[in-house]
Amino acid sequence: MKFSVRDLVYIAIFGAIWGAVELTLGSYLHVIFPPLADTFLVGMIMASLGVIVALVGRHFVPRTGAVFMIGVVAAILKMIGIGGVTVGPMVAILAESLLMELGLLIARKHTRWGFVLAGALALAWNFFHKFIMMFFLFGKGVYEVYAGMVKQGASLLRIDLSYALLIIVFLLLIRLVAGGLAGWIAWDLGRVVHDRLAR
Amino acid sequence: MTVWQDSRAMPRTRRIAFSVYGYLFFFLGTAVTAILAREGRVVLVLLGTLLFAGVFHSQALKLLRDRKIWAFIVPTLLLSPLVIGEPDLEIWGLHLSRAGFWAGVWMALRALCIALAASVFARAVSVSQMAELLEGMRLKGLGFALGVATNMLPTIQETMQTSYQAIRLRGGFRSGRLRTLRLLLVTVIAGSLRRGDDIVSAAEARAFDPARSLGSSISVTHADLALAAAFGALAVALLLV
Repeated sequence: MKFSVRDLVYIAIFGAIWGAVELTLGSYLHVIFPPLADTFLVGMIMASLGVIVALVGRHFVPRTGAVFMIGVVAAILKMIGIGGVTVGPMVAILAESLLMELGLLIARKHTRWGFVLAGALALAWNFFHKFIMMFFLFGKGVYEVYAGMVKQGASLLRIDLSYALLIIVFLLLIRLVAGGLAGWIAWDLGRVVHDRLAR
Repeated sequence: MTVWQDSRAMPRTRRIAFSVYGYLFFFLGTAVTAILAREGRVVLVLLGTLLFAGVFHSQALKLLRDRKIWAFIVPTLLLSPLVIGEPDLEIWGLHLSRAGFWAGVWMALRALCIALAASVFARAVSVSQMAELLEGMRLKGLGFALGVATNMLPTIQETMQTSYQAIRLRGGFRSGRLRTLRLLLVTVIAGSLRRGDDIVSAAEARAFDPARSLGSSISVTHADLALAAAFGALAVALLLV
């Protein structure tokens, strides 16, 4: 990955914007919502904003690896920010930026649909994030806890277990749609910023 | 380059100097051994992690006072006897499993080991050392980008607040909130990029060239190698015994 001075400065700026959003809005939302609700709401909001910022950045640095570099900068800024060391959001930022990069590589050309694919892939991580992090932290036994919770929840609400699984699939779909939308918005936003700077 | 951040630990550990690699080995080694350690053996890994953190970076132990970590661990401890294993005990009308209880305890201890090791790594390694480490992994120019980002961060946060207040005072968030949010983002990004042009000019005027970056100056110390060897031996022992 070879970047010019201008590319690196733009990467720094978009990384700092993503980091600033994480440090201000992210910390605020994590305080308001309890940790167990993070995956379903806070994580999705933060990931969508991150996708928008990183993909707008890609508009200005149209090179492979730029989005990943933006993610690395944002993750490190998140690490040193107030609110303590938060491994979860750091892993999420890095994984999302890698998945965005993968989406852009698959799309090959610099198109709106490439951005949509990149956004959808990045937000898909948000669904698996807590399961993967919990696996690393607690081991595979944690899946037994989750499965038990789903079974007990289904019996408590007197709904069939298949409906519970349907809800899980629905939650994944919501993320894919939100990610695609974030990519779509990033494409428009990039052009608006471009036009404003050209004035 | 050695890492000394905890001044209280300095007098006791003057002879043992870990580099960034040492702390990285510690984090990865702890994660691997905690995953490999079955049942009660995880207690040994936790004791080792606590000892290392206490001696070399006692600030990392502040993690144990963080409510967020307990918010993850306590529910696991409480739920495990209810949902793991066959119930063989009844307390206050609740059917509990002893096996589930112990499974929950081992899971919680493993989580503590890994979280503590991550805390030691994040607190011991500075931003510039992290940048050097990543530059060594072929991410050329990252150190420069990180320096610019660290300097720009307060300005960007201030721009965000000022723009938000200005838009709010003009009644921007009363209707069409999404459009207003978009306007806020455009304002912040465009303003930051304009400032970025000045930084580019300044860097180019000083003939800065990212391709001529010196790369990583961090070298592995004897203490790092000893730590890596100790973790390797421990991992093998856990696999065999």
